[in-house]
Amino acid sequence: MEESFQAFLLFWLAGLCAVFGLMLGFFSKHSGTRRFGMFLLSLGSISILATPWTLTFSPSSAFGHFLGSILGPSVLLGVGLYNIAFSGHVPVGRLTEGDKRAGFAMVLIAMLWFEGMHWWVLTPTYPDEINRYWLIFWPTLLLLTASSSFVAYSIVKIVGDDRNQEQRLLLVLFGFTSLLVLLGLLRDGPNVETAQFAEEFWLAGADVFGLMVGAALAILLFAFVLAIYEAQQPLPKQLDPPTTKQLQEAAKHIAKHVGEVKEDE
Amino acid sequence: MSESKGMNKLSNLLLVALATPTVLLGLTYALHPDIGDGTLIRFANSMLTSFTMISFLLLLTLFVYGDTRKRPVAPLLGMLMCGLTGAALTLFFLTQGDLLMEDNGSVRAQALSNVIRFSTTAIALCIAALIVLGMVFASLMHTPPRRLKFEEE
Repeated sequence: MEESFQAFLLFWLAGLCAVFGLMLGFFSKHSGTRRFGMFLLSLGSISILATPWTLTFSPSSAFGHFLGSILGPSVLLGVGLYNIAFSGHVPVGRLTEGDKRAGFAMVLIAMLWFEGMHWWVLTPTYPDEINRYWLIFWPTLLLLTASSSFVAYSIVKIVGDDRNQEQRLLLVLFGFTSLLVLLGLLRDGPNVETAQFAEEFWLAGADVFGLMVGAALAILLFAFVLAIYEAQQPLPKQLDPPTTKQLQEAAKHIAKHVGEVKEDE
Repeated sequence: MSESKGMNKLSNLLLVALATPTVLLGLTYALHPDIGDGTLIRFANSMLTSFTMISFLLLLTLFVYGDTRKRPVAPLLGMLMCGLTGAALTLFFLTQGDLLMEDNGSVRAQALSNVIRFSTTAIALCIAALIVLGMVFASLMHTPPRRLKFEEE
């Protein structure tokens, strides 16, 4: 098989399958279609994750390697937060204290794992240099977590009623991620130097602002297209006013059901 | 009165959303003033890619909208035009010499690199949302349920 066709089939088509499957899985009303969507999502994801073995010649395989590298800590983080949340005051299906402790351990391990990828020997390396997508991902994650935690803190402060614990937690998260950014800017890691981190952090800012502007434009146009379509729709058919006979019939039914409340009832 | 108060709160939130990353980026620039090459190129590539990709994603959501509105073709065509315009603009600017080209050998390589970079940023966005929302949700679920206090008559 030709290399470009192989890359198209195992990486780009697989990616398209994953995105399409995700959309079907989340938005379809029919359970069969949702299952098919999840199947497409799994198939596409597995194909992309396997690219370091199936597409060794293609630079795109570095993305598959990057996804495989962050899969472990991301899953631990998700499952850990789920365990912590659903061991709280949940009326039905509350998880045990053991699950809660396991959840805390999972979140802690996930955070240490991510930190180890920057500050220790766990940095994703593919094939013999640092995976460039990791260099993009880590500063972007820090920037977005710091920013969104501070925005969430402001929202809770404005909207929340006596939500001091959540506000403190979000401020701690903001402080922690900002500290990580500062450390990355001031101290060399074993594999990533400060200058490289600063360059990638700066470009991550350009990426995030570009993404926000592009997304806002797309959403505005989407709203515009729908508004134009809805404005062109004919008004729904107006019903004739009720006749005297219909009104009398309605009055009879109302009188039957709405009456005086007796003392013994 | 309350409407203007609401607008004030919204504009404050927008300001916070823009100010937080700006402060962090300003700090980065203050500590490493030699960075910044290719920032505008990255911004433009990211903007065009996100516009194109999100237009196509919104196009897919129109299939769900179509279920409730007798499957109209007009919005589908409209969003398809938006996505195609974004893709055409990207390709057009990429072919204009070094205007939008980064460290890639060809226009196709640059366009594909933009898509992978967008996916990486989107994954970072999802994980950041998971961390922030997950922590808030977990904290809310561990707050004892509040009881309504009735004043004695």
